[in-house]
Amino acid sequence: MRRLWTAIRAFWRVLVSRDVAEAVEELLDRGVVPKATPEPVAPKVEPKRPEPKARARSEAITLLATLQREARFVDFVKEPLGGYSDAQIGAAARDVHRDCAKVLDRLFAIVAVLDQEDGSEVEVPAGFDAGRYRLSGHVAGGPPFRGRLVHHGWEATRCELPAWTGSVAGAGIVAPVEVEMKAES
Amino acid sequence: MAKWVLGIDLGTTNSVLAYAPLEEEQPAIGLLPVPQLVAAGTVEARSMLPSFLYLASPHETGGGAFDLPWASGRDSAVGELARGKGSEVPDRTVGGAKSWLAHSRVDRHEAILPWNAPAEVPKVSPVTASRRYLEHLIGAWDAAFPEDPAREQAVVLTVPASFDASARELTRQAALAAGLPEDLVLLEEPQAAVYAWLAETGDRWRRHLKLGDKLLVCDVGGGTTDLTLVGVAQEEGDLVLERIAVGNHLLVGGDNMDLALAHHVAGLFAHKGVSLDPWQSVALWHSCRAAKEALLSPGGPKKHSIAVLGRGSRLIGKTVSIEVDRQGVADLLVDGFFPRAALADRPERRRASGFREIGLPFEADTAITRHVAAFLGSHDDGSGPARPTYVLFNGGVFKAEVLRQRLLELLAGWFPEGEPPRPLVAAPDLDHAVARGAAYYGWSKRRGGVRIRGGTARAYYVGIETAGLAVPGAARPLRPLCVVPIGMEEGTEAAVPSEEIGLVVGESAQFRFFSSSVRKQDRPGDLLERVSEDELSETDSMETMLPADEAIEEGCVPVRFHAKITELGMLELWCAGTRSAGRWKLEFSVRQQGQGE
Repeated sequence: MRRLWTAIRAFWRVLVSRDVAEAVEELLDRGVVPKATPEPVAPKVEPKRPEPKARARSEAITLLATLQREARFVDFVKEPLGGYSDAQIGAAARDVHRDCAKVLDRLFAIVAVLDQEDGSEVEVPAGFDAGRYRLSGHVAGGPPFRGRLVHHGWEATRCELPAWTGSVAGAGIVAPVEVEMKAES
Repeated sequence: MAKWVLGIDLGTTNSVLAYAPLEEEQPAIGLLPVPQLVAAGTVEARSMLPSFLYLASPHETGGGAFDLPWASGRDSAVGELARGKGSEVPDRTVGGAKSWLAHSRVDRHEAILPWNAPAEVPKVSPVTASRRYLEHLIGAWDAAFPEDPAREQAVVLTVPASFDASARELTRQAALAAGLPEDLVLLEEPQAAVYAWLAETGDRWRRHLKLGDKLLVCDVGGGTTDLTLVGVAQEEGDLVLERIAVGNHLLVGGDNMDLALAHHVAGLFAHKGVSLDPWQSVALWHSCRAAKEALLSPGGPKKHSIAVLGRGSRLIGKTVSIEVDRQGVADLLVDGFFPRAALADRPERRRASGFREIGLPFEADTAITRHVAAFLGSHDDGSGPARPTYVLFNGGVFKAEVLRQRLLELLAGWFPEGEPPRPLVAAPDLDHAVARGAAYYGWSKRRGGVRIRGGTARAYYVGIETAGLAVPGAARPLRPLCVVPIGMEEGTEAAVPSEEIGLVVGESAQFRFFSSSVRKQDRPGDLLERVSEDELSETDSMETMLPADEAIEEGCVPVRFHAKITELGMLELWCAGTRSAGRWKLEFSVRQQGQGE
């Protein structure tokens, strides 16, 4: 009986709405409920990552150099804040903040570990990874634990740092000396 | 046998390579991460390769500073590092090579870039610069797929629809010199955007579009705007896509918007008594690029702060910033580039003064909406300007929803009767859509999927000196003879009926060459009387040479033209002897300086 009712409803909706008609046609053709946006299919064979040469310097320095180059991170942190007003610091901080975020997103694709809101009730499963969860407060008994979410955590879903091909002498350089030549006139 | 199809978007500001395996049943399109120098001695893989070339001074290249994973000992760099150098060392940085390719007033094989650079800087030609960008992409591909080198794959390279036969030929030469295969296919960028949409939509496109629908493809990139009209026709009961018209080459794009904003903000700084030095001005341009999206997105605070960071190590102390009125700036950009124009409006054309500096012919009118109105107006289908039923947006500029809305709103007003044009978005990711579309096209070509038909986007004409009384001191009037009509299909050829033309043996014969994207009525053999400059534009002349050693007895051979569009969409023009069997191919003489206005 219920199916009959659905069929009648569908008949009228298809008749009056172009969008519904399109959706139903698609449903009939494909036999499955269409997803709102189909996930792009990536080729199965992955491109080979170029092998980095022998590491002449630590990747940590490369990261620092990237943050400095693209976001002026080291300049910002190394500058004493004593003589500046909050507004002055804020003016520079906005740009540094925005550009640092861009670098972190591109190199590490950082996402929240849990997508619940802070303060919501969460469950820590049995056999959880101690690196993934940090428990505080009254920890007693056995998992699964229930508690209040204090921080959703962060996770790097990728780690693609630039490769360094420079000289040994340059390995410790976070930002090169900049010298501007005047045009001869 | 090719295993992959490579779709290459050789852009004015960024290049992208997308690829798909040919044997898959479903198109599985991936983007090639392109390792590139982001700073001296630092290589990072990114999905976009900025189309810039930095020609290093010999003192900078020590210690492998410019090495790539697949090449060492280099003295130049392509990509992110080169883009950055554009502001630091402009004399040694080549940018915008693609816009130069379409510019027939200069010799595109001559080493002229960086434009206006001092004498000691090594220079390259626009063709060489384009070759270098492609070589970088090929190097990245071959390193990632060492078993399947790029020269053995199926390759689709995109060009602006507005590129004429000469600019396409130059692009092809650059591609072959870079090591791409001979059977490389050139695809028009707006069509690639449509293919990107088809790749997303799959077979469902036949539900979205109906017979008689017209898609306006509006592709606004960093430096150029490209317009195309695609229609939905019927063939044996099945819907097919047909390219109806393409617009002219417009040198206006997102970069102009960034500059306009930077100019406005620099004015605000000046008002506050802060004058910016050249370095700060460039930094401001970059800040404005970053701020543009925030300023154009709906919502957000009324005031937005734009800062120019201090250059030296005293970052905070030297930073200058200013509050800009969000609404005011958004209006400046939206009304400046997408003003509320009427359908009858036309772009303003500034009268060229007697002496015009050579250099890129940037548009005098930056109002994209007026260019759209002119485009629709010039493709009158008999019942008024062409009326699109859908608008397909492409190009990074259209990430700003307010700009998409403005264009849709105007179109709805221009055509008040019936349903207003509906928007389509090429792909969720506008930066890579053209390359993805090119890869999809290559895949569907093998698989027999949907194709956009259309043939040549332009009609071509050879300038013929008219017979008649010679007036001393005056050149004989030149009349354009149509040799290729608009819409001539790939893989066809045709003899051009005309009077006989005499070619002198042993001498180079040169013909002035013209094209038109609007004169649909002309058929091969038509000799035009009077044509307005708006309709016909001159491109590189064509030349051929009859070797003296052939078995020709007379000194002059009568010929007629014979036009051919190859399977790969390249135009070939031949001179065929009317009384002998000889056939001589005409070549573009791009080394020749372009003719006058």
